[in-house]
Amino acid sequence: MALLDVRNVTKRFGGLTAVSDVTMSVAEGSISAIIGPNGAGKTTFFNLLTGIYVPDVGSINFGGRSLIAAGMEAQSDDGVIVGSINFGGRSLIGLRPDQVNAAGMSRTFQNIRLFPGMTVVENVMVGMHSRLNVSLVRTITRLGGFNKQEKRVRERASDLLNFVGLSGQGDEICRNLPYGAQRRVEIARAMASDPKLILLDEPTAGMNPNESKDAMELFRKVRDERGVTVVLIEHDMKVVMGISEHITVLNFGQTIAEGTPKEIQSNEKVVEAYLGRHAAGSSRAEGEA
Amino acid sequence: MVSTRATTDRTITEWLYRYVLFPIGQMLVFIVGAGVVVMVLAYLLAFLFPEPRPNIVLVDQINRQLPGMLIAGVSLGFVYAMIALGYTLVYGVLKFINFAHSEIFMFGSVIGYEVMRRISDAGAIQSWSPPLLIIVVVSVSMVCAGLLAVLIERVAYRPLRGAPRLVPLISAIGVSLLLTDAVRAIEAITRNEFNLTYPTNDLAWLKTPLPLAFGETTVNVRITSIIIIIGAVLMLVAMNYFVNGTKLGRGIRAVSQDMTTASLMGINVNFMISLTFFVGGSFGGAAGSLFGMNVGTVTPYVGFTPGIKAFTAAVLGGIGNVTGALLGGLALGMIESFLNGILVYFPALGQRYTDIFSFSVLILILIFRPSGLLGERVDEKV
Amino acid sequence: MTTAQSTPTIKISLMGRIMAPIRAVLDNPVLAVPALIVYMIAVTLILLGLNRSDPLFPLKSSLAFPPLVLSPFIVLSAKIDWRFKGLLVLAALFIFLPLIGMYDSSYFELVIQICIFSGLALGLNIVVGFAGLLDLGYVAFFAVGAYLWAMFTSPVDTYFKVNNMLVSANYFYLFIFLGVAVAATGGILLGLPVLRLRGDYLAIVTLGFGEVIRVLAVNFNSPTNFTNGSQGLDGVLRPTVPPFIPDIIMRVDQTLGIPISNANTLAQQMLFYLVAIVIIACIIVIARRLDDSPIGRAWTAIREDEVAAIAMGVPLVRMKLMAFAMGASFAGAIGVLYAAKQSFVSPESFSLNQSIGILAMVIVGGIGGIRGALFGACVVTLLNLQVLKNLSLQINNFKNIDAVMPPWLVAVILAVVGGWILWKLLKALWSFANRWFGNAKQAEQVRVVVWGVLVAAIALLTLQGSGFRFDDWPAQLEPAKYERLVFGILLIMMMIFRPSGLLPEPRRKMEMTAAKAEAEDGAIGGGG
Repeated sequence: MALLDVRNVTKRFGGLTAVSDVTMSVAEGSISAIIGPNGAGKTTFFNLLTGIYVPDVGSINFGGRSLIAAGMEAQSDDGVIVGSINFGGRSLIGLRPDQVNAAGMSRTFQNIRLFPGMTVVENVMVGMHSRLNVSLVRTITRLGGFNKQEKRVRERASDLLNFVGLSGQGDEICRNLPYGAQRRVEIARAMASDPKLILLDEPTAGMNPNESKDAMELFRKVRDERGVTVVLIEHDMKVVMGISEHITVLNFGQTIAEGTPKEIQSNEKVVEAYLGRHAAGSSRAEGEA
Repeated sequence: MVSTRATTDRTITEWLYRYVLFPIGQMLVFIVGAGVVVMVLAYLLAFLFPEPRPNIVLVDQINRQLPGMLIAGVSLGFVYAMIALGYTLVYGVLKFINFAHSEIFMFGSVIGYEVMRRISDAGAIQSWSPPLLIIVVVSVSMVCAGLLAVLIERVAYRPLRGAPRLVPLISAIGVSLLLTDAVRAIEAITRNEFNLTYPTNDLAWLKTPLPLAFGETTVNVRITSIIIIIGAVLMLVAMNYFVNGTKLGRGIRAVSQDMTTASLMGINVNFMISLTFFVGGSFGGAAGSLFGMNVGTVTPYVGFTPGIKAFTAAVLGGIGNVTGALLGGLALGMIESFLNGILVYFPALGQRYTDIFSFSVLILILIFRPSGLLGERVDEKV
Repeated sequence: MTTAQSTPTIKISLMGRIMAPIRAVLDNPVLAVPALIVYMIAVTLILLGLNRSDPLFPLKSSLAFPPLVLSPFIVLSAKIDWRFKGLLVLAALFIFLPLIGMYDSSYFELVIQICIFSGLALGLNIVVGFAGLLDLGYVAFFAVGAYLWAMFTSPVDTYFKVNNMLVSANYFYLFIFLGVAVAATGGILLGLPVLRLRGDYLAIVTLGFGEVIRVLAVNFNSPTNFTNGSQGLDGVLRPTVPPFIPDIIMRVDQTLGIPISNANTLAQQMLFYLVAIVIIACIIVIARRLDDSPIGRAWTAIREDEVAAIAMGVPLVRMKLMAFAMGASFAGAIGVLYAAKQSFVSPESFSLNQSIGILAMVIVGGIGGIRGALFGACVVTLLNLQVLKNLSLQINNFKNIDAVMPPWLVAVILAVVGGWILWKLLKALWSFANRWFGNAKQAEQVRVVVWGVLVAAIALLTLQGSGFRFDDWPAQLEPAKYERLVFGILLIMMMIFRPSGLLPEPRRKMEMTAAKAEAEDGAIGGGG
């Protein structure tokens, strides 16, 4: 039973169709990848899933039940509800990003968007917000379990930092951290809300091969040790082929191929999209972006 | 007013059409449109409340006052439009609301006063031909206000480019405060005066209203209103040509769309920004001196209310959109003129609420349609 | 253009040289405590020694009073045990300041005003500093609180009076809580439609809202009279003074033998002072608890990156509403206090100018910090209500005694002020000339020479004269009326040179300056 079920989702910006009739299904506990040349619509797709954009066509449901939220079902022009994004029983369309986060889907960003002035541990603590009892009265009076909750928050943050390998760096200001460490903080922060599914947007961009290898280990750990389903957007073919079980290829907003890494590697359309028409006729694209 | 067509003109008639007839036609459309809306509202009100006060029949009052209200509305609208231009040009280029623009308007009105006063003190005011006097006063205030705007940008905004949004905004508030009291101090030192009265009382040609007949009613139109309308139309047509038909104007538009790329294309971004401030400031100054001539007395605090209203107009039309500034200004001016004329007859409300009206319009637009009537929605790329 | 970088280094080294020995003392745990005690006693004695009939009184009291008011901040910056810090601050608040107040009630009046603005600055700090929302109409909530108490107690013929809804003075403390509730509700009502807007738009809308409230206050006197229009509400009741206060005053008077002019006013002022301190203490505790909580972290996240915050599960509108409501509630409480203290409420006290003034306090002190907001409130209020006013009074005094400023003093003032302006102008002009000269170093030398000549010329010319007769000071140019000018210059300078404020929180400092540095690296046209 698919955890995330996306059907026929389309998004237009004025005259430009950024995402066109994309259908994707993510099995619980899997690691999948979305690949495609720059400008293929991958990040826009993520934004649709997390509620930053609302699709023009299609609805988003979270696993099983179709609960269209707040009357914001997207319809095709003749009023028929076409398409869906299903996540664990709920429709995600019309949900704000923070509500999507509360429903169990969390993300990282293509360009790192940590809170630059806050410390590492504070960043991770913010990630937990949707799981906390945030009450004005309890905050002011420090009663009703507030202190207990704060203790739990710090412990969990510390645990997550250990998990991503940043133990002891909790009080560093994020702005001062090296790039690789910042990426790891982002992952810790995304995991803080105890998500069922985590979307990673180009998590290894700018990394050298060693760092990429460590990152791959971490992604596997996220799924193996914490049971979180992983979906990544990636350009680094070693990473993609190395850890994903299922790949969806987008180009010009449309799905041009999907399947296992082996199937994708030998798919002519994929090679053509990345390397041009001439290369498609010749050798398979072996780990070459 | 911003045309996306290529700016290569071939014939004189094409040029005339694009840069003279079309803009003037657009203005007429806006005026007529706003006028129609106002008339409909007025008669609707008269229909709902035929006798708001005993012995006052609203329809008769409206009939009598309508032509006067419309003309006053157009002239007020042009004043707002000119001030709104300053806000919208700067916003388009820097994505920043120049709080201090209302004081640049005030500065223009004070300069206008100074020029006229000096001519008057020299005893020459009667001997100058009217058009010459107006042109000189307005031009001087335009240039001075424009230069002031450039100076402000250089001193208070340029060092802050790139700082978090809050910072230049606060600096702009500071500039606004500084200018108000600086002008007040200078006038206090040089003339020991707070209220500055334009020496227009001796000018017969300025003071005698022009009777215009509309059917049975004769409306006395103030000469200053006519001056404002003519002056504004000329200046707006010229500005439209400048922004759309000249190389410099193209440069400004390029910078407002994408500063980085414009710079890479060899455009001197700093110069363009200064130029934008100059143009915007000069329009504010022109509006100031015309306003001063119309109203008669100005003070250093005269900029605040028209500033807020013009800002409302700019937002109403769509901030960053030059045509929008024109539309918003005219619309707001018309409606305000109408309210001023009609609300007197409603005892409960009174005229005092016309000021809140602008603020309320502002709040409502920003909540329900922040992109304004003509504006573009700017989405942040995630 | 590197103006922002060259001048601060000069300023810092000058300030640095003055501050060094002071810092040395304050950092020494053994020296600091006695030094601070001596300092506070000394300033108090100086103030007690001043005489109102002295023509130089305004000048002297402007120089002596601020150091006493600012002494708690000096105490807090010293490196001593927190218990000593607490004791010294309490001494300043409950011994030295009241003493000065008893001696001269105008000082007490000033202190209470400072307390009121401190409360407002702390409240605005939550909105602007913690959550990053620029509210230019904050004074509206202050007005709500003030009018609340005024309407229910003023003997003027309002709706409340006519319908017998007035309350007795004992309800004052209850009304403080009511003020909190009403203002918070107002904050939520205003915030709901408005908080979705971006920074600049939010600023303008709140500004508009503040003005709407003020105009309403002016006009809400017909058909039913609620606010009595621009005449305001007079005779607002004050809470009765509990007996222990006059007792203490009498006892102190007897032991120290300080002449007390009006015991009743003094007792009343003492009550307001104590209430104000209690309210502010509560606000501080609440603010600190908010800061160190998921709510505070959410606010910081919203401030730094809204898009990331919402993606991480922070409900933007709800959090912003909380900030708005909290800030508003503080203003409401202070408003009730203000109405009782002034015994008179009118729309003039709630203008845009006031909102900007409170904003200036938060900014000058340092956005985001509790200490900064308090410091800013003290500095700005002192500047406004004491320094400027006393400058006016001093000039008048000089006029009355036909004083003349000696030529050398005129020369120095003109040379310093004129010299600074000339230097800025020359730098601006020369950045054009640099392109002509081609050689920046040569241009610099020429500039220094020209500047030196001009300044010397100013000095010489003024030395020739006979000084400046204060009689010639224009009547319209009263410094007390020019608070806008001072605020304006203050805001601009702060933004250019120290955007993080005078007493910034270490984290906010990095936020404000790092962003600028990054921008200057990558900015186009960031250089000359």
